[in-house]
Amino acid sequence: MFQFLIDTLVRTSDLALVALGLSLVYGLVKFPNIAHVQYAMLGAYFSYFLHAAGLPMALAILLSCAAVGLLTLVLHLLVFRRLLDAGPAITMIGSLALSMLMVALALGVFGSFPLMFKLPLSPAWQMGDVRIGHTQLYALATTAVLLTLFAALLFGTRTGRAMRALSSNRALAAASGLNAEHLTRLVNVCSGALAALGGSMLAITSGAHVNLGHDMLLPVFAAAILGGLGNPLGAVAGAFLIALTETVVTNLNVGWLFGKPVAFLPVAYISAASFLILLLALLLKPYGLFDREVRRV
Amino acid sequence: MSDFLIFSLTIAGIYAIMALGLNLQAGYAGLLNFGHIAFAGIGAYATGISTAAGYPAVAGAALGVLVAVALGWCVARLGRQLGADYWGIATLAIAEILRTVATNEDWLTGGAQGISAIAFPFGQLSKPWGALAFLALVLLLLAAVAAAGIRLADGRFGRALRLMREEPKLAACMGYDLRALKSRAIMAGAAATAIAGSLYAHYMSFVGPDYMLASETFMLWTMLMIGGMGNTVGVITGVVLVQAAYSLVPFAKDAFHFGSDLAGALRIGLIGLILLASLLWRSQGLIPEKLRKIP
Repeated sequence: MFQFLIDTLVRTSDLALVALGLSLVYGLVKFPNIAHVQYAMLGAYFSYFLHAAGLPMALAILLSCAAVGLLTLVLHLLVFRRLLDAGPAITMIGSLALSMLMVALALGVFGSFPLMFKLPLSPAWQMGDVRIGHTQLYALATTAVLLTLFAALLFGTRTGRAMRALSSNRALAAASGLNAEHLTRLVNVCSGALAALGGSMLAITSGAHVNLGHDMLLPVFAAAILGGLGNPLGAVAGAFLIALTETVVTNLNVGWLFGKPVAFLPVAYISAASFLILLLALLLKPYGLFDREVRRV
Repeated sequence: MSDFLIFSLTIAGIYAIMALGLNLQAGYAGLLNFGHIAFAGIGAYATGISTAAGYPAVAGAALGVLVAVALGWCVARLGRQLGADYWGIATLAIAEILRTVATNEDWLTGGAQGISAIAFPFGQLSKPWGALAFLALVLLLLAAVAAAGIRLADGRFGRALRLMREEPKLAACMGYDLRALKSRAIMAGAAATAIAGSLYAHYMSFVGPDYMLASETFMLWTMLMIGGMGNTVGVITGVVLVQAAYSLVPFAKDAFHFGSDLAGALRIGLIGLILLASLLWRSQGLIPEKLRKIP
């Protein structure tokens, strides 16, 4: 039972940071950025190469986050700001094009073979019948610390209050003298860096590979939509829900349905589970679980 | 060489039918369908499954059209209360679910191996003539779909769709049932696309889950965005341009001795680059839609 909880938390930490960034940016620019998951992939590759060049792990990830954050800012200034004049639909297609370009770049430069980090092997922690790897433990701790910091930033500082004001009513926020452009840039850098961090931590266990971004596209979108796009902490809760469902689907013994002692759902259907939650979320609660406003759709 | 030309033209013709199906939804009605390839996949699988069971090719195509239209109806119902971008993500999720099902249900779809040895319709003709006859069939169907598209666009239905795209509230005030309009646009597009999928399965003699990759939908979107959404001639221009760019990749691969990773990257990158460039500098496409302006 405890192992089940740990598995869920580990998967949550894989998704949470990327979903958080996606939701954060959506709040300010109002379009779903499909390229966001590819920032995670690029971050993973950067971390790998910096680590392979001899830097210590923490420094490699930090530099990679900075680089991807900067890239996110540049893309926002050069591409998305121009496309946004034509409306969110066009911008979404534009983000699709960028995402394809990034995948092509990664495929062309790094190849299709996954690159594994060279880390010393260490036995997994064993507590009773619960097992958790060291890297997973670090990833969990990092995610937890960052999420706490972020919540503090969002609800305790002037910048956080400005972000929330801007995402809930842009015109009013601008009229009260908030510098929208400045905040948008800041949020873009943060979201890119968070995505890179999430991707790097995922890559430590699974290796940096081209499909890293594409594989998390739908779970991350499902998480962000479940939490309500534009509500960053909701996205974290959404990520937890998705992780919980995926873990339940893999661990559920459905033998009683078929009259066999042991029968599990095929592993390939795990991804379908998160798509299904996404569909249900869109059907039943299109503005997220935590939406209190009455809105016209 | 001429074999390669016939091959490229046939593929371009099939993609043009799919793109025209998407144009009906995205171009005229302004619906962000990111799961369009699912309709083609259904057409292809229906053909594969029913010909493997011994039914004639026409029955397979008809089955594909029926199932695709039914799916189109469901997808349109799904869009009832969603914002446009949310609906786009939902369609993407549906296509991915279908692909996952196709990959895993071995008893029906052959799993990742797919279904091979689908009969080529003009297989009994001698070497170049079979391929040419198939090309003629594809072009004939393309002409029919294009003519139907133009006819629809200029008629009352097309005008209603455009009005819904530009001013949904005005359209509702004028008494149009927006949900019915959307459903009909999606179902018509789905039917055309399922026929194209069925043709593709016959031409390749194979159907597999890779037919339903999301990148295929994005390629269709690229064709639309380059050529000009909502304009039949523009869409066909876009298809020809993208297919020409695609056909050059194997030559480039041979000329510069790339690995297959780099060739794949070049394909995706080309599409992404063209799409982004056309969005940034010419968001109307090369041949923009002609809208009647009332002064």
